[in-house]
Amino acid sequence: MTFSSTSKSLAKISLSPLAFVEKQFGQGVELIGQCILLFFQTLYYIIKGEIDWHETFRQSYMIGVKSFVVVSVTALFVGFAMSLQIARELVLFGGDTAIGGVVSLALIREIGPITAGVIVAGRVGSAIAAELTTMMITEQIDALKVMRIDPVQFLVVPRYLAGLMMMPVLSIYAMFIGLLAGIMIAHSAANVPPATFLDSVKQTILDRDFTVHFEKSLLNATIVIIFSCAIGLHTRGGAEDVGLATTRTIVWTMTVIFIVNYIVTSLTYAPR
Amino acid sequence: MRRKTNIPERKATAGELMIEVKNLSKSFNSRRIIEDISFKVHAGETLGIIGPSGCGKSTILKLLCGLLKPDSGEVIVHSKELGLVFQGSALLNSLTVRENLALALRARKLKRAEEEKIIVEKLKLVGLSDYIYSFPAQLSGGQQKRTSFARAVTNDPKIILYDEPTTGLDPVMSTVIEDYMIDMAKQFIPASIVVTHQFSTWRRTTDRIILLHAGHIQWEGSADEALTSENPYMKQFAHATREGPMLSNGIEV
Ligand SMILES: Nc1ncnc2c1ncn2[C@@H]1O[C@H](COP(=O)(O)OP(=O)(O)OP(=O)(O)O)[C@@H](O)[C@H]1O
Ligand SMILES: [Mg+2]
Repeated sequence: MTFSSTSKSLAKISLSPLAFVEKQFGQGVELIGQCILLFFQTLYYIIKGEIDWHETFRQSYMIGVKSFVVVSVTALFVGFAMSLQIARELVLFGGDTAIGGVVSLALIREIGPITAGVIVAGRVGSAIAAELTTMMITEQIDALKVMRIDPVQFLVVPRYLAGLMMMPVLSIYAMFIGLLAGIMIAHSAANVPPATFLDSVKQTILDRDFTVHFEKSLLNATIVIIFSCAIGLHTRGGAEDVGLATTRTIVWTMTVIFIVNYIVTSLTYAPR
Repeated sequence: MRRKTNIPERKATAGELMIEVKNLSKSFNSRRIIEDISFKVHAGETLGIIGPSGCGKSTILKLLCGLLKPDSGEVIVHSKELGLVFQGSALLNSLTVRENLALALRARKLKRAEEEKIIVEKLKLVGLSDYIYSFPAQLSGGQQKRTSFARAVTNDPKIILYDEPTTGLDPVMSTVIEDYMIDMAKQFIPASIVVTHQFSTWRRTTDRIILLHAGHIQWEGSADEALTSENPYMKQFAHATREGPMLSNGIEV
């Protein structure tokens, strides 16, 4: 009987592990439901053509231009590290001329989209969640509703379109920066001239790789914008909830980006 | 320079029933805030809602404009044009004063010049013409309040809900806003509800007041009657004394 009394007093202090998992799971399911609903509402306004282009371009600037520097630095160093590892292994097998091909494959299929996605999730997703949560708490969203303006049309649609336009640009850009890093590493560490490197790139990359790259970047944009907006528009409470919403957005968007990117990869490239 | 506008005549007819609240109840987290409340407001009439902090005044206004759903009871609002002056201003921080007012006109899809004219006119009324391109963060609390006020009446709504419209304003600006509320009531004959703690505001602007406490309407009557009422709740509230039935409820003395 001592056992049950201990567990009872434990339960008083905190939730039981099972209840904790249940609560987390419930909130996760709720969030995904909210995201799906929000996605279709957003799509509805886009299809109807009710788009505030002025705001969309303003958001594009916020999302795109302001992420450029971070994407540049990140992609450069991911490119350095990855190219170094690839060059090192290929040189051992005498495959110096294939370095460009392998590096570019990794970049266009995986690293480009995921680097841009993660950076935008961290920089833009968190900012959107913070902004929208603040608007909820200070009743700005309520004010919009009273004026019969749908927050989805007014706030989510421009951000989503801006994300769709800017994410592919950032992904491709990340890929090129990564390639640049690859050229530098191949040249300095493996003595492969840039021309040889680029030759290998041309021979290896297929049109399909560009399509997948593009698909992934659109999916990543959707994940970042829809999750951050859904979290922002459903958070209530006080100032401390802004921080919580931001953290939640980063955790969710990054996790979902990694999962979804793998799913696309496995659907396209899995050996049959 | 005179220009003709094609803004339709927006007057309501005096006496027309505009707001009907029937047996309204609302709880938050199983705590009853509003319990079985009923009242009506007609065009041209200004109803004051007073009561201690936290008694649910703002909640009633949110129920009226559909931001909250009632647990039970009915809210019937006989107009789509409704303005709400939020207690905390609720201006959109990323937009200028001008753009904040333009939001209220968005649905009407006016020409820019027409829109400009209405916005300038409304800002003049609250003495903020010079701030048309300022952002809310660049305004004082009182100026934000006045902007919020201007935004709520931009569309000349038939129903106006004021949540603490004069709180935080200096006495002179309070009087200006009160005058404007009275003016609005005369000119456009909207049905108005004023939630306020400020004595001068409910004294001057309301035709009838209800005193809310512990979820119920404890007293109803005109502002003049309120001052001489023997109702223990109203008496305590009107004379701002500690002795009475109100403090026993939740507030430590
Ligand atoms: N969204 C909400 N969720 C939970 N509780 C709420 C919510 N909104 C209001 N409440 C609670 O309902 C009660 C009434 O709130 P309300 O804002 O209507 O009070 P009020 O009469 O306007 O007070 P004040 O004069 O201070 O503005 C308060 O106890 C408040 O904590
Ligand atoms: Mg209030």
